[in-house]
Amino acid sequence: MTTFDATVSAAATGIVASAGAPVRFRDRSRAFWRLLVHGAIWLTFTLGLYRFWLTTDIRRHLWSSTELAGESFEYIGTARELLLGFLIAIVLLLPLNAALFVVTLGLGEFGEIAAVMLSFVLLGALGQYAVYRARRYRLSRTVYRGLRFHQTGSAWRYAVCAIFWWLLITLTAGLAYPFAQARLERFKMRNTFYGNLPGRFEGSGIRLFAGVLPLWLIAVVPFAAAIVLGVKGVDWSALAAIAGGDDLSNWVDASGLDRAVVYAGLTAVWLLLSFAVLYPIFQAMVLRWWAGGLRFGDIAVKSRLRTTQVYGVYGRFLWYAFLFTLVAGVAIGVGWFGLDKLTGEFDTESDEIITTVAALGAYVAVALGYATIHQATVRLGLWRCLAESLDLSNLAALDHVSAAGDAASAVGEGLADALGAGGV
Amino acid sequence: MTISGPATFFDGLTSARRDVTVELARDVLRILGPDGNALAEWRYDRLETRSAPDEPLRLGQAGSRLLARLQVRDRELAAAIDEASLPIDRSGRGERRLRTQVIAWSLAATASLLMVAVWGVPRIATELAPLIPYSVERKLGALIEPKVRASLDTRHAGAAFECGNTAAEQPGRAAFDKLMDRIETAAALPIPLKALVVRLPESNAIALPGGYIYVFQGLIDDARTPDELAGVIAHEVGHVANRDGTRAVLQGAGMSLLFGMLLGDFVGGGAVVLAARTILETSYSRDVESAADAESVELMKEIDGDPRALGVILQRIAGSSHPGPKILADHPDTRDRVARIEAAAGATGGGPAPTRPLLTPAEWATLKNICSQK
Repeated sequence: MTTFDATVSAAATGIVASAGAPVRFRDRSRAFWRLLVHGAIWLTFTLGLYRFWLTTDIRRHLWSSTELAGESFEYIGTARELLLGFLIAIVLLLPLNAALFVVTLGLGEFGEIAAVMLSFVLLGALGQYAVYRARRYRLSRTVYRGLRFHQTGSAWRYAVCAIFWWLLITLTAGLAYPFAQARLERFKMRNTFYGNLPGRFEGSGIRLFAGVLPLWLIAVVPFAAAIVLGVKGVDWSALAAIAGGDDLSNWVDASGLDRAVVYAGLTAVWLLLSFAVLYPIFQAMVLRWWAGGLRFGDIAVKSRLRTTQVYGVYGRFLWYAFLFTLVAGVAIGVGWFGLDKLTGEFDTESDEIITTVAALGAYVAVALGYATIHQATVRLGLWRCLAESLDLSNLAALDHVSAAGDAASAVGEGLADALGAGGV
Repeated sequence: MTISGPATFFDGLTSARRDVTVELARDVLRILGPDGNALAEWRYDRLETRSAPDEPLRLGQAGSRLLARLQVRDRELAAAIDEASLPIDRSGRGERRLRTQVIAWSLAATASLLMVAVWGVPRIATELAPLIPYSVERKLGALIEPKVRASLDTRHAGAAFECGNTAAEQPGRAAFDKLMDRIETAAALPIPLKALVVRLPESNAIALPGGYIYVFQGLIDDARTPDELAGVIAHEVGHVANRDGTRAVLQGAGMSLLFGMLLGDFVGGGAVVLAARTILETSYSRDVESAADAESVELMKEIDGDPRALGVILQRIAGSSHPGPKILADHPDTRDRVARIEAAAGATGGGPAPTRPLLTPAEWATLKNICSQK
């Protein structure tokens, strides 16, 4: 889902290229970098409040850089709307959180578990609700040729649907993912309009399933096999017998737990490696499938996105991250040395305060640095690759669309932000 | 003569692209169709630049429900429109001013937030804690106590965590109860204390909301006189009397509110929030500890104990451990504590030697054995 949501608007954007003049992305990466670096600096000083402005800037940049049939998209959302949405979300969430806290207090030991599960489901559903409403906000702030996109449909129904599918994905160790995506995308696109031109989604879950199944087999099967082997290898009765006693010295030996630990370590490495290597393949596959399923009226979309392009995007990220690590390492080393000299004259307490603040500052700077590099390479790169890979047919339909739909509020974005469900 | 030039127009009603001629009249910008009909007239003072790549100039109407757009590629015409309509802000100066305002205000908000966190939250918690009914505090304690017990009780299961329940330990328990009785009577608290000795090696004691006091076995081992032990227990009773447990819960809630919800959720922000919280919470805690020390001195005077004994045992315990970073310490520096205890104890004069010892030597010996069971 995250893969999609990052690019949902990209898609909304990329929807309308003509066969003769495909989607074009204007490369203004220098401006984008500048905007991100400024944003990162102000984020620290405003303790994150600047994120509404940064998000708006990023969207404006991406939307307006994307051209379809010679006209660029326009993002008309404002940071003020996002801030307001966030404040409203706080007003809604504060009493909810307080109520959950009180319920937890009043229920005692057993009720607490129930309350935790209840709040998990409740906040999860609320998160999905927020995701849907945030999409509504973004679409209604996307303008092309003087008309806005909009989204209808009940966010609560979407939330119930999404929770159901995510449960199923969890229970099937990910196998249900393609069907969930097909179903949820169909829900979203059925309710998506450009003016009065209705969208729909025709991607088939089975086809995506057939595509990603080999990847799943490579990553998950050895993992599952190792777990089974590991569990079988442990002498559970011996383990249980020893666990009761105080003598732990040959606990690991006697039970065969050491072998199980080795299995677990190996499979964890396997899982991580295969994930790192296969993820770009997976992402390219899902993006192609998703773009290829999009329809607006008679307009059909096709994506020629190549897997190597996605590898290229991540390669760039790794390269920049490596360079940044070198620079940051040197800077922190020099800073540490200088600080040591400087604080020699202070007493211990102010020394501690200065050192703590400096260490925190360095940590935040490094974390923001990586996040900035990720935005400038992965987000921008994927957007660009996907947009430029799109082919659209029957673009003539674009000339006869009428205005429809209204601006939606940013409460969904605020909720998603406050709940940490992505979005802003 | 009026300036005019070519442009592209979207009327906001349909997606049709129209090639138009723009004419700059005195007060309005006139948009003319191919046949010379005026499609729209936009007042200069309501023109707005809209987000677009560097070229073309994209214009809309401020405050209009329609999203009609005029796109001008012709540079001379764009410059002329700029000239004619002052509100158009192509350099982005107005936007930048707005942003500077936002940044300045967020810095101010940060400062005021920190001030509330440093002074406001503890003050509010202090004012609120006495208003919480004891019935609520007792419920809170009943809720927290099992959790604290579970987190402390790592090696022993169930009853063995608590000292003084087996036959061999019973006498020690009786002596402990006698000591507690004397302290509790003097303290005259509105809620009953529930004091336990627990099998933990650290030299420490803790108080929880609802009158729970845990005395660690390590403390009993380290105490050389009943007065030293009583001094530490009286300190914990001071926490109960000041309702510090409840206050800590209120403070925690206040801090969660300030740092958890209102503050930004940006990369790396979590660490800053955590660090700020830890430093602030330990600094609250240092103040609270000083107050409990003062309470201990008063209480010890009242039960005819030695008010200085707390200082003595604190020094002994502190001597054997390495102090960590000061800003992360939840108790004040031991030297300062001892000095303050000495000062408070001496303020009313040392007085005559205690006439009524807290425990007889025999009782003290049995109390030292309260955790004898292995």
